Parts: sequence; C-alpha cells; structure tokens
Amino acid sequence: MSNNTLTIANRIIYQLIRDRRTMVLLIAVPLVIASIVGVSIPDKQTLDYIAPAVLAVLILFFGFLLTGISFLRERSQGTLERLMASPVSKLDIVGGYLLGFLLFAVLQTMILFFYLIYVLKISFHGELWQIIVFEIIIGILAVCLGIFISVFARNEFQMVQFIPIIIVPQMFLCGLLWPVEQMPDYLQWIARFLPLTYGVDGIRALMLQGQNLLDIGKEIGVLAGYTVGLMILASLTLRRGAAS
Amino acid sequence: MPSGISFGLLGPNGAGKTTLIRLLVGLLKPKSGSVRILGQTPSRKTAPLIGYMPQLHSLYTELSVIQNVNFFARVYQMNDKRQRNERVEEVIRLVDLWQRRKDSVLKLSGGMRQRVSLACAIVHNPPLLFLDEPTVGLDPELRVTFWEHFATLTKQGITLIVSSHTMDDAAHCDRLAFMRDGKLIAHGTPNELREATGKPDATLEDAFLHFIHRELKENVQ
Repeated sequence: MSNNTLTIANRIIYQLIRDRRTMVLLIAVPLVIASIVGVSIPDKQTLDYIAPAVLAVLILFFGFLLTGISFLRERSQGTLERLMASPVSKLDIVGGYLLGFLLFAVLQTMILFFYLIYVLKISFHGELWQIIVFEIIIGILAVCLGIFISVFARNEFQMVQFIPIIIVPQMFLCGLLWPVEQMPDYLQWIARFLPLTYGVDGIRALMLQGQNLLDIGKEIGVLAGYTVGLMILASLTLRRGAAS
Repeated sequence: MPSGISFGLLGPNGAGKTTLIRLLVGLLKPKSGSVRILGQTPSRKTAPLIGYMPQLHSLYTELSVIQNVNFFARVYQMNDKRQRNERVEEVIRLVDLWQRRKDSVLKLSGGMRQRVSLACAIVHNPPLLFLDEPTVGLDPELRVTFWEHFATLTKQGITLIVSSHTMDDAAHCDRLAFMRDGKLIAHGTPNELREATGKPDATLEDAFLHFIHRELKENVQ
C-alpha cells in the first residue's frame, strides 16, 4: 500500500471527524432504523429474518451516500483537479477513499450488530468477525458505486436523487422484506442482477444459518465481480487528461 | 523561457488561458500537436516540479488551514515529518495566516481562501508555478499583497505563469503573452508591447487593442 493511499485515507477520516453532525448521524440513524424495525415487527421469527438484512442494506446505503457526496465535492470544489495535477495516481485516490470509509463502515457495523443482538435480541448463530469481513466486502462495493455514480451528479441534490434510482429498487427487490423466491418470475430475474440481493443472502446465511464465509463463496464472488467492474468504471472516470 | 520571472497570460474570458494551463499541467491532452514542459510531455513525472493554483479555491472546506496545506505537502511526497512541518509553517506565515491556521477554511473570507490556495500550491517548492487567475475577486489592497508574494517567489528563482484578464496584473509581469480565441496574438516584455503600438504614451490596454485590431485586419485580408 502506498504512502499516498494512507495520506488520502487519513484526510477523509479527518474530514468526517471534523464534521460532528455527520458523525452523530452516522451512528444514530442506523440505530433509529433498527429500532423502528424492531418495534414495528412484533413477530420474533419475522424480525430474525429482516434484521440481518438491515445490516447489509445500511452499509450499502451509507457507503454509497457518503462516498458519492464526498467525491462529488472533490470534483465540484476543484480539489480533484489539484490531485490529478499532483504525483498521486488514481489508484491512490480510489484506495484512499476505500480505506477511509471502511473504517467508518466497520465502526457502524459493530455498533449496529451489538444493538441487534443485545437490545433487539435477534437470534444469532455465527461469528462476528465473519460478518465484519462480509460487510467490508459490501462496503467496498458501495464506495466504488458512490465514486462511479458521482460522475453523473453536478451537485448534492442530484446525488441524493440517485438514492431512489440506485438504492431503493435494490432494497425492495433484494429480499429485505419478502423472500425473492416468492416474487413474480420477472422480478426474481431482475433481483438476480442486483448486488444487494447477494449481500442480503450472504448475511442471512452467516447470521441465521450458521454458515461461514466459505459456504457463501458464490455471493462473495458475485459481489467481488460487481466491485471489480465498478472499480474499473470509477477509475476510467478519473482519467488523467480528461478532467473537465 | 528563463527562470525566476513572472510570465503573464493575458486575454479576455474564453481566450483559452485556462485551457492552456490545464494542457501544461497535464490535466488535458492535446487534440492535435504536442505539449512540452521542462523539456518533457506533462505526466506524473513532471508533476512534482509544478505547482498549480486552479481558478476555484480548490480546498477542503471542512479542514483547517494547516490540515489543507499539510495534506498537499504529503501528496507531493514531503515524507520527512520535521522538514514538512517546518515548510508548512513557512508557507502559512508567508501568506500571513499563521494566526488562523487552526480555523476551518469554511470560516475564512474569499481573499484568505485564495491565500491558503496559494500556500498549498507552493508548499512543495516547485520551480515552476501556474496560477490561474489568482487575483480574481480580490480587493485592490489584497491584489497588491498578492503581487508582493509573487515577487518574493520570483526572487527565490521560481518561475510564475499567471493568467489574468486585467491589465493591472499585466503591468506586474516581466513578460506577457496576449491571447484571443485560443490564439497567441503577441508576446514580449510590457515595454516592447507598448512600443509596438507606435505611440509614446501607450498603456498596456492600448497595446492589447492594437494587437487585436491588427489580428482582425489580417483575418479580413
């Protein structure tokens, strides 16, 4: 890992920490959502089914939103232009973003996880470290998605508009609320193309069915495939000599 | 071009000054022809030798003055912590913001942000510095201060390439190039350009208009 990657990761961490309100929201919002889920679903079995999926959905949501907006600002305020004229490579930039945001992703996952297990008393048959590893995989995907999508937004409003386009359909079709297998055929077919479906399947397998990371190799493989694709797309948008 | 001078790129908005600077720092690739800088094609290898102050302030507004300057020092591979800290302090003092070093950029006025932006561009001691409209939006007093900063830099042997559309800035430059519609229409020292008009008391403004008229006439013929 290059020094530059660490420099950029370090800066992202400082940027988020100095923005106190965002930090509080980052921790509070997932707990509020988890609480609403916990209170609104009285049936223990249904709750056990839905709560783990919330972990996967939130990491995608926050990873996408935070990276998207940070990267958008990097473009619109002109700092990306400065970075592109400097000796850092685009790999350093993408790597720095990944490293910086994953720290917050892990933090958020752990807080939410303990809340689900100890406050909402979700059934759990698995290992915490495996869940963190899987959440990091979803987090990497989210960061690459955010960087890529930020190319299409000119301001923060537009970036937020991408949530109903990119994230919300995945939330409804990933099996968060209703099993994918019971959806109409054409929706199942669409769901099979959405990365979050694999995220939710994977995390349920880890938390409810007591499976380990090796058992969900297919899910990890699909997520990794999407991540590599998005990473290539994201770095193409960062081409030196094409900054506009 | 000799080193240690200030070279002004003058021209109206849309003349291609920013595009030329972006070509030179390697942010754009030429559609035709080639760009050479310090004898090389602009690339990541030439990047450490170049300082670039873009038109926008281009700073991380959430971060403090010192965090911004320190970040760009690290980006430009100043890895020795002690040396880096010394240099960061030196450039922040140069732009007269040491008292405000811990304030976030968000709290600073436009002129102060411009100064932080300059500090970030020179922190790695580049021999060649590109400044894209550095005095835009500054009040007359600050404009003078900025030119004093620039004079300090050229005395240290740094070459400045400054774009501007005001003749006020032009008068401070050692050499000038007039641009219009993406073309270089004249270049030389301010005196040479003034003398070219043939009038003894011509201002730089007169000189610029003189060259534009000449260009238009040639185009008609």
